[in-house]
Amino acid sequence: MIAASQPIQRRRDAKLLVIRRNGALAHWPRSALVELLQPGDLLVANDAATLPASLAGFHVGTGRSIEVRLAGRRSLDPTDVGAFLAVIFGAGDFRTRTEDRPAPPEIVPGDRLQLGPLNAIVETLENHPRLARIRFEGSAAHIWSGLARHGKPIQYAHVPQPLALWDVWAPIAGPVVAFEPPSAGFALSWEMMRAMAAKGIELATLTHAAGISSTGDPLLDARLPFDEPYRIPMYTANAIAKAKQRRSQVIAMGTTVVRALEDAAQTDGRVKTGPGIATRKIGPTTLLRVVDALVSGTHERGTSHYELLRAFAPSTTLDRMEKQLDSHGYTTHEFGDSILIEKATVRPAGRPSPTAQ
Amino acid sequence: MKLGQHTPGSVQSLAGRHVAITGGTAGLGLALVREFLDRGADVAFVARKPDGVVRVAQELPRAHGIIGDVSNKDDIHRIALQLLGALGRIDVLINNASDLGPTPLALLADTECEDFQRALMTNVLGPFRLTKALLGSLAASARETAGAVVLNISSDAALTPYARWGAYGASKAALHHLTRIWEQELTGTGIHFLSLDPGDMDTAMHAAAIPDADRSSLKRPEVAARELADAIGAVLPALHTEQPAKHPRESKGVWSV
Repeated sequence: MIAASQPIQRRRDAKLLVIRRNGALAHWPRSALVELLQPGDLLVANDAATLPASLAGFHVGTGRSIEVRLAGRRSLDPTDVGAFLAVIFGAGDFRTRTEDRPAPPEIVPGDRLQLGPLNAIVETLENHPRLARIRFEGSAAHIWSGLARHGKPIQYAHVPQPLALWDVWAPIAGPVVAFEPPSAGFALSWEMMRAMAAKGIELATLTHAAGISSTGDPLLDARLPFDEPYRIPMYTANAIAKAKQRRSQVIAMGTTVVRALEDAAQTDGRVKTGPGIATRKIGPTTLLRVVDALVSGTHERGTSHYELLRAFAPSTTLDRMEKQLDSHGYTTHEFGDSILIEKATVRPAGRPSPTAQ
Repeated sequence: MKLGQHTPGSVQSLAGRHVAITGGTAGLGLALVREFLDRGADVAFVARKPDGVVRVAQELPRAHGIIGDVSNKDDIHRIALQLLGALGRIDVLINNASDLGPTPLALLADTECEDFQRALMTNVLGPFRLTKALLGSLAASARETAGAVVLNISSDAALTPYARWGAYGASKAALHHLTRIWEQELTGTGIHFLSLDPGDMDTAMHAAAIPDADRSSLKRPEVAARELADAIGAVLPALHTEQPAKHPRESKGVWSV
């Protein structure tokens, strides 16, 4: 697929490929999403705003330039911003493809990193020379101010112009906890939310700290997504329970929503309220207990996002999806076109769905 | 809308509410920071001058001080990021930072367009941009706690055409109208938009506009702040028992990669 290279959240001509539960495919304009939903349906979106998680600086021991990309955190607590998981790159920036980036100098625990106004210490390496737990010095206020002044949104070479925070905050963005934008939410305009409300489609949110999508290193990429903290508000858990009760569809806006809801899922399709950490990877063997359909970007084979789609549909359907995306000029990545995929009536592994829909 | 008289002895607690105030180091803004702290709210304030922010933050250690200029587009998301970092979520946004336009006040025909532009950036575009950047958080607060408020500080100059108040009056008129359209468009979201005139107050800004005013005839900013806090309290329902304010620390052992 072609990469979407302009940072426009709601392109007027954005496309939507609809993959029905019976495997049927149909092309729609993404602006027609509300028409495709039924009164009573519940759309759940991730309201995480995106951190300026790319920090340029240098490795104090060698004086060499590095870029630190924050990639994980143990909680969503805004006062708990000392410790991060981070991927460390050598000199350069997003203009070089991640797979072509030079390695950083050798990093060992105790090393100091100078990142603009922020100082960090490497605490541990996480079984890879470029993946470290780091700790910022100073108070939470100092760290937030340093991130605000010095951090840039993480971005990749397919978007040539430098991104600003407003490019990566969706219209519903709230708590600043994501490392990369939960970009499915880019499609949600306030106009669309009004139209949904008028049609009796409910909107609820959760907060999930979406992690990084790529490191350029095959060994690290195979470990994605890292553990991601999330929080499900009580009203959202209640809205899901009610939707299940009336047999309405629960539609996840984005893969991060699937990950949070299925992590919090109980056997009866209800979800636990409150904070959690999503640790499981979702793939072909995952039994989806909560989510009936997913609105997402277009994803390419081999990514963790594509693997997640395999929980929704068998590979024969996904093969057909890929062909349609390619032949109809769909664009990919965070500013690209979208899909709406319903959970197949016959499960990929041949098991029946857990709940009758 | 003019504010009613405050009746003493009826102070409503705003404990658990997360309040962001721009222009928080002087005049009405500083009085609002104090008033909301007194009512138990979590407060973050924004101001342009680092020394002013440091001074107020030292005097009021429970308040979070943020340095930023709401008239500067590039500062808006930096401010929003730090407000959300300090407070976690925003329930109440008070766009109080304001610019008089030319000082001393001037006839429109004598007004430099740069002075008018600065007033529009500070009094109209700044509040628009900051509201937009924080709208997701305000909407989430409204869904979770059944209410959120944006208060835009207005003026009688927004409604009455006073000679020599052209830049300020036109910008405040625009802000007043903007507030009403926000309210109209976001009906049903639980976010309330208020445009309130605090009255003529004894502040440095008033002195810059009317240096020879009889100060004893002016309202004290603390009185206006109390009235504004009452007006905000009146549209916010009581907080639910389940407060989304705290993120309980997860057990540190389970976070792995």
